[in-house]
Amino acid sequence: MRLKIVENKQVSKDAYILKVENPALYEILPGQFFMIKVNDFNYPLLRRPLSVAGFSDTIDFIFRVVGEGTRILSLKKEGEFIDILGPLGNGFTINSSKRLILVGGGIGVAPLLYLKDTIENRYKLKCESYFGFNTKDEVFVNAGNIATMDGSLGFKGTAVDMIQGDLDKDSLVYICGPLPMLKKLALLCFEYGCEMQVSLEARMACGIGVCLGCVVPTVSGDFKRVCVEGPVFDYKEIQWQEM
Amino acid sequence: MAGNVNLTVKLGNLIFKNPVLTASGTFGYGIEFSKYIDLNRLGGFIVKGLSLYEKKGNKPPRIVETPCGMLNAIGLQNVGVERFIEEKLPKLQGLNTHIIANIYGTEVEEFVRLAEILDKEPLISALEVNVSCPNVSAGGALFGKDPDMVYVLTVSIKKVTKKPVIVKLTPNVEDIAFIAQAAQSAGAEAVSLINTITGMVIDVKSRKPFLANKTGGLSGPAIYPIGVRMVYEVYEKVKIPIIGVGGIYNANVALQYIMAGASLIEIGTANFVDPTISIQIIKGIEEFMNEEGVNSISELVGVAHS
Repeated sequence: MRLKIVENKQVSKDAYILKVENPALYEILPGQFFMIKVNDFNYPLLRRPLSVAGFSDTIDFIFRVVGEGTRILSLKKEGEFIDILGPLGNGFTINSSKRLILVGGGIGVAPLLYLKDTIENRYKLKCESYFGFNTKDEVFVNAGNIATMDGSLGFKGTAVDMIQGDLDKDSLVYICGPLPMLKKLALLCFEYGCEMQVSLEARMACGIGVCLGCVVPTVSGDFKRVCVEGPVFDYKEIQWQEM
Repeated sequence: MAGNVNLTVKLGNLIFKNPVLTASGTFGYGIEFSKYIDLNRLGGFIVKGLSLYEKKGNKPPRIVETPCGMLNAIGLQNVGVERFIEEKLPKLQGLNTHIIANIYGTEVEEFVRLAEILDKEPLISALEVNVSCPNVSAGGALFGKDPDMVYVLTVSIKKVTKKPVIVKLTPNVEDIAFIAQAAQSAGAEAVSLINTITGMVIDVKSRKPFLANKTGGLSGPAIYPIGVRMVYEVYEKVKIPIIGVGGIYNANVALQYIMAGASLIEIGTANFVDPTISIQIIKGIEEFMNEEGVNSISELVGVAHS
């Protein structure tokens, strides 16, 4: 579906917020994503998976410029149209009886912003947020507890460092970020016996479950597709040693 | 439907309502696409390659994008033929289109067993045989690289099934027409070409091949001129229908394959980019025929020769 761009604005050193018109056709769960075609040509060929960072009058995506595709996307102007496919994937599950903790790293913070909004404003529940970045100029949020690796803003260290030692078996952690961070928190969750829902990133060709390109190893021995069985997984389902 | 153009194509004892099929490995088991398109509009679709037993596939990373294309090394992950018949096939009942099963094995006996099992399934119209795989009994040499192996394999499959047999050829050979001739002599009803072209991408940071499998198959718009050239070459050497596949992303490229000699075409990687592309290509072919005053698609097959 082609939707009109309402805003495309740089929000940090390398991240942009892209807002497109909400055609009022979708019910979007936090954690779900869209496949976005950055132009009408064969280069770049494939769509880019972007998770939803906000959903109101507009559908919002926050993306980091990492290659040619996202660079082209960053140049899109208000009023232009963009082809999106979705919403895709499963999304986070909210459990009101738990202490809800959001942990994000870098661009992985994006889907947690929509989750935070849903928990607080739709479910009227409380949650704690810990968002980590490398440096101050990469920070694109103005909410939750901020950590930077170099200490240039907020806590010095990672988002995981911030909550380490403060987890218990009543905690339900929602996490999205770089793999080492996910692995570290998965270990801690095993140790403390808490629950964790992890949103995984993967290279995808189709986003609709047919290319089988985006699979991850699971404890059952089978590969599961990030685009259909995910992107949100129970951390106990993932075979972390093979990630 | 605009105009009254005749898009029907005959292959063996089958009539296809139009020449547009979707390629194995890019269309799941068909079911996945039913929310995006009306499957009945297709000439047919070819389901994900089936092996005798379930295959878990290769470790990730399995795909990497390249200019106007992509490399993949999925490793033929599939549920196995029995589960396909029990779980997937019932969901495809009542469709008015051709469902073609793509089969894969590492020994002749595996292909034969698969063909025997699928021969009993009335919903399956034809078998497409993937010969781009290693023959364990022949020291791992690819079936599709050796005309003798293609001949033996095709004859063996033909013995156990009445359904039309399509041999899907690999382009990673010196003379693809020679291999096509072997399939024809063995009694294949058609050949489909091309499968993906072997390639590699290296991650310069890790200094290692990007894909866990090291090599992968290149597909997408980048490869279509190679496919068109190979269909053109095969058309001059065989009489059986050719199914053209490789990088088709619009009606223009589909028509190029048809003019090179393909009676039918398969759409592959383009399904990943736009799940409705197959229907758009059917419409585009119709429009072209209306504009050019072509009554029947068969008039265009092979017209680039002479």
